[in-house]
Amino acid sequence: MTATAPAAAQTQGSLVGVFATSHSPGMTGFPERAEAAQRNAVNDALAGLRARIAALRPDAIIAVSVEHFSNFSLANLPAFAIATAGSYRGPVTAEMAAFLNIGQRHYPGHAGLGEHLYRFALESEFDPALVQGDFEFDENFCVPLQFLDPQAQVPLVPVVVNGVNRPAPTARRCYDFGRMLRAAIEAQRLAQRVVVLGTGGLSHWVGMRESGDINEAFDRRFLERLSSGDAARLTDYRQEQIDEAGNGADEIRTWLVAAGAAGTGFDILAYEPIPAWLTGTAVAAARLP
Amino acid sequence: MYAVHKLLWDIRREPALADRFRADPDDLLDDYGLTGEERDAMRSLDVKRLYDAGANPYLLYFCALQLGMPRNEYYARVRGERR
Repeated sequence: MTATAPAAAQTQGSLVGVFATSHSPGMTGFPERAEAAQRNAVNDALAGLRARIAALRPDAIIAVSVEHFSNFSLANLPAFAIATAGSYRGPVTAEMAAFLNIGQRHYPGHAGLGEHLYRFALESEFDPALVQGDFEFDENFCVPLQFLDPQAQVPLVPVVVNGVNRPAPTARRCYDFGRMLRAAIEAQRLAQRVVVLGTGGLSHWVGMRESGDINEAFDRRFLERLSSGDAARLTDYRQEQIDEAGNGADEIRTWLVAAGAAGTGFDILAYEPIPAWLTGTAVAAARLP
Repeated sequence: MYAVHKLLWDIRREPALADRFRADPDDLLDDYGLTGEERDAMRSLDVKRLYDAGANPYLLYFCALQLGMPRNEYYARVRGERR
C-alpha cells in the first residue's frame, strides 16, 4: 500500500493469509506418543505459522472446519454453516478439555464479519445454515488455535463443512465455497486484514476398524495437488476416492475451501504420517501473491 | 437407524441420560421407541452389531466412550477381536 493510494482502498477487506492444518487430538492431548522427530516437524511448522499469522496482524480469522457432533446432530446437519456469534466456548466439555489438554475458555467471534459472510453467501447463491449462537468448539478449532493463537486474541468466524456424515458436499462445491469466501472478504470493510484457516484431515479413521492406519499415498497425492494449485486436479475427488483414506479424510473438504479462497498453490510445511496420533498430519500455507 | 443415532447423540450430550442407560436401559429404550435388532444391540451396547448395521462411527464411538468403554476396548470389539 503506497501513500498515494485512495483512502477507501485502505479500508477494503483483503485476504492476507491462507493456511491449513490437521487437528488431531494427539497434537495437544498426547503429543509424547509420537516419535520426537515427527512431533518436532509438526510443532515447528505450527510455530512458524503462528509467527506468520502474528506478523500479518489479522483483524479476523475465518476458521473452516468440520463439527464432530458437538453441536449439530442428524436431526439437523448442515452441509455448510456460517457462525455469527460474538463468543464461542471450547472445548465443549470438561472431559474433552482434559482429553485435549486445553483449558476451557471463550474465543472471541467477529459477529459483523460473520453476518456479512452469511449475507454474501446467500447473495452468491450458496445456502449455508445460519448459526447465531450456542455453538461450541471441539478439537476442530481448539487444537489448531492452541498452536496458532494460544491467547485466543483474534476474532473468529467459524465456518463448518459437513465431514462427519455422508453424503457430504462435493470437492468442487467446497472449492467454490472458498472462492466465494474470498470475494466476500474483499466486499466488506468491517475487517481489513483477514486470514482463512482450514483444519482437518488428512487420512484417518475415527470409530472405524481401520483406526490407526494412515494412507500415506493418498495424503502425498493430495498435498502434491494442493502444492500445484491446479484447481481441476484438486477438485477431482469422488467420495469413493476419499473413502480410501478413511472417514477422517472427509475433512479434506476444509482444505479445499481454503484452497478455493487462496486460488494459488500451497507450500507444504510439514507432513508426517503419525500412527500414534491416528492421523496423517500436515501443515500448509498458500503462496499468496 | 435414526432413533439409534438420536440416542447415541443424546447420551453423549446428557450425562443424566448416560446414568439412566446404565441404571435401566429398557426404560430409556422404551422412550426412544427402539425395537427388534436395534434395541437388542443397543441394550447390550454391542458396538460391532451397531457398526455393521451402519451406525455413524463418530456417534457410536463417542457414545461408547461416554458410557465408560475404554478406547482400546471399543476398537477391539468393532474389529471382532473381543466380544
